[in-house]
Amino acid sequence: MPVVLARIDDRLIHGQVTVGWSRQLRPDRIVLANNEVAADRWQSRVYASSVPPEIAVSILPVARAAAFLADPENIDERVLLLTASAVEMNELVRIGAPVGAVNVGGMHFGPGKREMLPFVFVDEADLKAFGRLLDMGTELSAQQVPGGREYTVDRQRLQGMEANP
Amino acid sequence: MIRALVMTHGDIGLELVRVVKMIIGPVDGLTAMSNAGLSGPDLQAQVAGWLDDGDGDGGGELIFIDDYGGSCASAALIACGGDGCRAVISGVNLAMLLGYVTWRENTDNRELAAKLVQKGREAITLVGGR
Repeated sequence: MPVVLARIDDRLIHGQVTVGWSRQLRPDRIVLANNEVAADRWQSRVYASSVPPEIAVSILPVARAAAFLADPENIDERVLLLTASAVEMNELVRIGAPVGAVNVGGMHFGPGKREMLPFVFVDEADLKAFGRLLDMGTELSAQQVPGGREYTVDRQRLQGMEANP
Repeated sequence: MIRALVMTHGDIGLELVRVVKMIIGPVDGLTAMSNAGLSGPDLQAQVAGWLDDGDGDGGGELIFIDDYGGSCASAALIACGGDGCRAVISGVNLAMLLGYVTWRENTDNRELAAKLVQKGREAITLVGGR
């Protein structure tokens, strides 16, 4: 299954995904990998109803999402994969989701978070997750919308954050 | 009194509410909120805080959003938790907000929501050209 975009975005399914990226990438399916949303029927219904009818949607716990993405039965679909956090994306890749590159699309400010980029705020857990994704050979870049400025997220950038806590 | 929250991308809602007050004068219970810079969970918490502020008043709440399918819509619906007493209306425009201020004292929440949807649709019309 080709994952045409694997995106970290704490707003999950919203306009930048369903209009911005989907208009360009034409995914057949959006896979939202999030344990909390998958366990909550109302949240699942709200997010599923936000997806245009021509795109299928699967809202799954992280482990099931990894299995779904790795299943050869689903090879023909173009998938846009979403997680809310770097930690979840790291877990997905660690347990076998076929993801070679990750788009960091939106990690907003919160308690304990520091600005890495104008739309990316991180804490120590995020930095560790980014580091582990790089260790596994995953490419990381940050870009909110198609055509917007793209930033490389590499060792140097992570070390810069670690050096300035 | 039925309170209302106008929750939108950027400053759309802030400006709409400012213009309503410019036309009508001070309006209690009409609040604007932007999604700028907030995570999904923080947006939900912000809406939940606004809903909690009105507990005990009994008049009910309406939430206007700008576009269905976006972060404002998801946050509003998740914060309301499927509570049918709290209407969430998409596609907010100035005519709807003026209707809200005009009708909110004499209408129950469900009826008001239906009237505002109708009012908003009627405001979208081709008034020139072909």
